[in-house]
Amino acid sequence: MSTSGSNRKPWLLTAIAAVIVIVYLFPVYWMVVTSLKTPPDIFASPPNLFPDPVTFQAYRTAVIDNVVVQRAFVSSIVIASGTMLLTLVLATPAAYALARFRLRGSGLTMLLLVLGQLLPAIVIAGPLFVLFRRLDLTNSYQALILADTSATLPFAVIVLRPFFLTIPTDLEHAAMLDGAGRLRAFWQIVLPLVQPGLVTVAAFSFLIAWGEFIFALSLNLNEKIQPLTVALNKFSGQYGTRWNEMMAVATTVAIPIVVVFVLLQRFIVNGVTVGATKE
Amino acid sequence: MARATASNQTRLRAAPRRLNLRGLSPYAFLVPAIVYIAFTMLYPVYENIRMSLHSVTIRTFLSDNQPWVGLDNFRTIFNDEEFWHATRLSLTFTVGSIFFQFTIGFALALLFSQSFPGNYLMRAMMLLGWLIPTVLSGTIFRWVLDGDYGVLNYALTSLGLINDDRYWLIDSSTALWGTILANVWVGIPFNMLLLLAGLQGISVTLYEASATDGASAWQRFLTITMPLMRPVALSVLLLGLIYTFKVFDLIYIMTAGGPVNATTVLPIYAYDLTFVSFKFGTGAASAVIMLVALLVVATGYVWYTQREEEAS
Repeated sequence: MSTSGSNRKPWLLTAIAAVIVIVYLFPVYWMVVTSLKTPPDIFASPPNLFPDPVTFQAYRTAVIDNVVVQRAFVSSIVIASGTMLLTLVLATPAAYALARFRLRGSGLTMLLLVLGQLLPAIVIAGPLFVLFRRLDLTNSYQALILADTSATLPFAVIVLRPFFLTIPTDLEHAAMLDGAGRLRAFWQIVLPLVQPGLVTVAAFSFLIAWGEFIFALSLNLNEKIQPLTVALNKFSGQYGTRWNEMMAVATTVAIPIVVVFVLLQRFIVNGVTVGATKE
Repeated sequence: MARATASNQTRLRAAPRRLNLRGLSPYAFLVPAIVYIAFTMLYPVYENIRMSLHSVTIRTFLSDNQPWVGLDNFRTIFNDEEFWHATRLSLTFTVGSIFFQFTIGFALALLFSQSFPGNYLMRAMMLLGWLIPTVLSGTIFRWVLDGDYGVLNYALTSLGLINDDRYWLIDSSTALWGTILANVWVGIPFNMLLLLAGLQGISVTLYEASATDGASAWQRFLTITMPLMRPVALSVLLLGLIYTFKVFDLIYIMTAGGPVNATTVLPIYAYDLTFVSFKFGTGAASAVIMLVALLVVATGYVWYTQREEEAS
């Protein structure tokens, strides 16, 4: 792991790194702490590093008793799960084909995927808005899932392809010689072997769609469908200085992400590096 | 090759109809993704170019009656002082963000490339800042930068760096730097992780050999780390450039482009044209300008790396 030779004081480095991590993550800590404070405690000067007293009142008011937030929570789950499924369905066979076969157009497809990753969402949102209006698709889950997948698909294919490259072709050939079709060989032999890749892609698609904002803002005007990100943005206008309630909603948005991250961090740390460096 | 042999062998057993199906199937794996790419990536790019050359407004955007106007939309934009203002803001935002997130990311990558207890855990924890949605980071930083009760003002006052509370996001002279601060925070883990991957690709034996020759840590950094990290650093900078130039949600959440256009970077300028003023034609033209700028940067990068490869 060490790249610059010997180091004699590993614990000193641990201490330096710990200070950096604490300073860096302070804003996240501040979000959680603020959400647990009473209104007078938020405005205390000097600010209290720990809530005194700890109260869940902000969660009660802004989350548990708030129909808009609850609906937005459900919407976020529907949109993020839908995007995750659509991404897996489109990306898995495509990554397999791009890794396995020399097809005409596969080079072009890879190039388009890499370029697609670079497109600003605002460039996609305008035309999709017009198109969805013509197809009468605006203000629907389908519209948001279709749009969000444009942000996840390139990444998914780019991350998945190397996983398929590591699987020996002999395995599929053996299965096909035994009479299995290409599809069955893919489904029963190959897919179980790339499971780590599928988990990485599923986690990332879910996280990206969970945090997506531009498409939800521009392609949907229906409050019943709006996800948490848009609801949170509306709050910042309405809530003024009720920072404890706003941070309670923000923490609620963050919780699923922290859960996914803690459960799957091994996959995620690898995924970031692979997705951004491999072509 | 191996595939050809395999299908020759199966031909002996399988019925011809089934064999045809097998010949078809490789494309069947790829087609759904291609259709989707055409629908959500190629079509929008084409449609932006088409709309940018037509008059498309709130009244005509759903009709087929959109008169051709040539480059009028582009002329409107180039004559708009707001566009040049947005371009300058985008440049400051992009260069400012990248400078800080790259240097800090590099320093942290050097730290985390050493081995010490807790390295992996702390590295993973840093990633959290990048993983939480930018909408959240934006909301948190609005609170941290708040003029009356923000914790940043408190910290700076206690350190004696400022005397009075500053209204960072309400004051048009500091608002952009407030958004840059938040964006640097978001970008640090990404830069750190990619640069770390590059550092770990450098062979340890190089450092060991150099150390036996009596080179100091600083000399090793200059003669080994810097030159060998150049390709990785360049790609990280390019990715950073493109990702930063695109940033919309973070700024929209923090300031919505305000106060009085003080943070209206190009993506927000384009969004306002299309989704606030419903000037679809001019909005599309501004999107096309952004695409061309990104294309120039990407092409320049490809040209540069190829020249580097030929030279080495």
